[in-house]
Amino acid sequence: MAAQNEEGDPAYSLRQIVKRFPGVVANDHVNFDVRKGEIHALLGENGAGKSTLMQILYGQYGRDSGDILVDGQVCALDSTRDAIRLGIGMIHQEFMLVRRFSVVENVIMGIGDDKRWTVDLKKAADRLRELSLQHGLHVEPDDIVEQLPIGVQQRVEILKLLYRNARLLILDEPTAVLTPQETAGLFVVLRHLASMGHSIVIVTHKLHEIMEISDRVTIMRDGRVVGAVKTALSCKDELARLMVGRDVSLRAEKAPRQPGKPLLQLEGLSALDARGARALNAVALTVHEGEILGVAGVDGNGQSELAGAIMNLASITGGRVLFDGEDVTRLSPAAHHELGLAYVPADRRHVGSLGELPIHRNAILGRHRQFASACGLMEEPKIGQFADALIERFGIRPKRPDYLAGRLSGGNLQKLILGREVMRDPRAIVIEQPTRGLDVGAIEVVWRELIAQRDAGKAILLISAELEEIFNLADRIAVIYEGRIMGIVKTSEATIEQIGLMMAGEAHPANSGAPQ
Amino acid sequence: MKGFSVERRLMPVDTSLSLALITLLSVVAALVIGGVLMMPFGANPFLAYWQLFEAGFATWRGFGFTLVKAAPLIMVGLATICAWRTGFAYLGFEGCLLIGAAAATWTAMQALPGAVLEGVPFFMFLPMVIAVSMLSGAIWSGIVGYFKSRFGGNEVITSLMMNYVAIFLVQYLVSGPLRAKGDLPVSPRLPENTWLPYLFDGSRAHLGIVMALVATLLVWVLLLKSRVGYELIVTGLNPKAARYGGINVGTRQLLASFLAGGLAAMAGTVDILGVHHRLVDGLAEGTGFVGIVVALLGKLNPIGCVIAAILYAGLTVGADAMQRQAGLPASVIFIVQSLIILFVLASDILRYYRISRVGPAKTTPVEVSG
Repeated sequence: MAAQNEEGDPAYSLRQIVKRFPGVVANDHVNFDVRKGEIHALLGENGAGKSTLMQILYGQYGRDSGDILVDGQVCALDSTRDAIRLGIGMIHQEFMLVRRFSVVENVIMGIGDDKRWTVDLKKAADRLRELSLQHGLHVEPDDIVEQLPIGVQQRVEILKLLYRNARLLILDEPTAVLTPQETAGLFVVLRHLASMGHSIVIVTHKLHEIMEISDRVTIMRDGRVVGAVKTALSCKDELARLMVGRDVSLRAEKAPRQPGKPLLQLEGLSALDARGARALNAVALTVHEGEILGVAGVDGNGQSELAGAIMNLASITGGRVLFDGEDVTRLSPAAHHELGLAYVPADRRHVGSLGELPIHRNAILGRHRQFASACGLMEEPKIGQFADALIERFGIRPKRPDYLAGRLSGGNLQKLILGREVMRDPRAIVIEQPTRGLDVGAIEVVWRELIAQRDAGKAILLISAELEEIFNLADRIAVIYEGRIMGIVKTSEATIEQIGLMMAGEAHPANSGAPQ
Repeated sequence: MKGFSVERRLMPVDTSLSLALITLLSVVAALVIGGVLMMPFGANPFLAYWQLFEAGFATWRGFGFTLVKAAPLIMVGLATICAWRTGFAYLGFEGCLLIGAAAATWTAMQALPGAVLEGVPFFMFLPMVIAVSMLSGAIWSGIVGYFKSRFGGNEVITSLMMNYVAIFLVQYLVSGPLRAKGDLPVSPRLPENTWLPYLFDGSRAHLGIVMALVATLLVWVLLLKSRVGYELIVTGLNPKAARYGGINVGTRQLLASFLAGGLAAMAGTVDILGVHHRLVDGLAEGTGFVGIVVALLGKLNPIGCVIAAILYAGLTVGADAMQRQAGLPASVIFIVQSLIILFVLASDILRYYRISRVGPAKTTPVEVSG
């Protein structure tokens, strides 16, 4: 089949795809081609329709109209089963693996051999070994998935597709959970697969990765394709402009600033995660006034517990939190707020806000006591004024205080949460993954606000898995790995490689073990 | 022609019009099925439904009965709203109702000849009986609430089990401590100055419905207009967000359990002082559970709960009348009632999913858009 396919002809094509949701056209007559043996990036902001398009291609969504062509032939593709039969495979951002199962069990899961009642795990394991050797994807078929690092779990997902003879691999935000080194490893694998004739689609909004890995880019905005270019003939700025629809600066301007006195100090802080396992191990950090201390690290290395422990929301097993010299370790979260310690959690939808409540009710979360009269009734006019001021100052859209927070885009929701915390005029801000999943425009707003807060003398602890963000904002960088601080370096003296190694668990040569 | 598929909507539908349409559709579907069930009896479904409506809502007397039945349902519904919107999955309202009934009986018995409250005027008796009964109910549910907030654990099981304790406690009380002289295991008839007064001539509607409406107003203000209500609702929507917002989740859930118990106890109180006028075994008749359904039908909103309670009570009253007049078994109406509940609750899914045609049913016209 592949032999008929001349070099350059699309192997998989979407023609005039239309997909409507109530009130939204998610895909508006979209055309999309992937050629054999190419790595194709699908770029777009959140809500641009790229995930919907890929889910249509993978048969998870029906389409209102439009055709799907495989090797030039119109194909009936109405279910995931059809898609797999046509050689299409997709890796979601959240891996679809059964954590308690072994690698081989995960790989063969869902492959029905209708004539047999039993599965031959041994035979499957042999084929899996063969595949992993062939593609340089080293996994041990009998390993249990939950014991594997994220990068290896991703390899299992890729092998799952290859085992099903997928010729088109769709990867949704594949590097979101990887270290720079793991990302580099993934790219080697993807290039190899492409050279073997597989087609690869990467759905992403990270421009530098697109420049590095992709052969061509299709850019979507507001449900339409606004451009399809050869990567080599384009540049970051052009792609960003196409994606956003206007010029954007991807760098944060930050003037050097002499930090003030230490405000937030952590001394040997240890904490457990929700399952009771040790997640934070004797962390010592100091954040000064007028300083952004970045905490870099791959997701799930104790970042959430670090923020939680500072606010006394996690179960602390040892150590102290000092705020302006005062021990606040065991004070209630409300008391932390009152002292002037604000916290913007990573989970915007489920911790930082209440989707079922309107903006004005979310605007007072954590400070609602200030909006209650002496007899305990909420002072609606005061709340309304505050919500209006918040919406105005941070440019939240829509400008309707009664709009449900759950319906806000990620960017607007983050503006609401960050704005709420900033408007308390805190002395220190702990902020976790501030721009995860946000579009470029919203990232700009958040970054600018954080730098403004720093310049106003606030102490900011910035916990982020995005190295670009850390390098742009932080004055100093601490790297967290398995709940330990691997070292702290000045941003001006740090290199991506060095931070990447620390994120993978290698201690900083100079100040390992004894941070600060 | 590829058939249909169900897919998730990007955003749930929640305009009042579509909600009303969805609810109406559910009710009509239930009525149609009920009508089919009437066919074997040779009855005219339209006539039967008319008789039902007339008996439950359109006559002064019938509507009075409806209000009598609605009052405790509203109280239990409000209790459900307070508990569930705080994330306290309490199911022990039947027990609280019985405890409230027993407490009200005990208080009213103090007004029997020779007891301490003999001859007490009603306006003084009422606050006393409300206080005693609400406190008893609050303590009863508070036991479960305390264990939940102190140790965690599953309040569904414990609260259900507590219902049985309450049922047997009432049996014990009417066969022992509160038993009247005579053959029947019932308490003495309560003195008339402790009865809830009837509101109108020619109707059994008593003060209970007024008390229920006042309670509705209070719950509405508390839940939707007060600081404590905000904390309760935030706790119920998401305990993590509540903790993040500096709200003490444990004490809020404990408070919700007190409120729930107190309100459900009022259901027992109005039944004792308004209808039975003595403590009898089996007086709850599942009101503590139907009240939950009523609250759910009212989308856990105090006002919605009142409307749902009155409609539900009217259907029950009408069903009895229909059985007498048309010779149809009331069970048909109970089936209709159950179907309405089932359909209304199930119809919620229409807000989140839609049915759509799958696949390219026709070839796409190639058009140049622009």
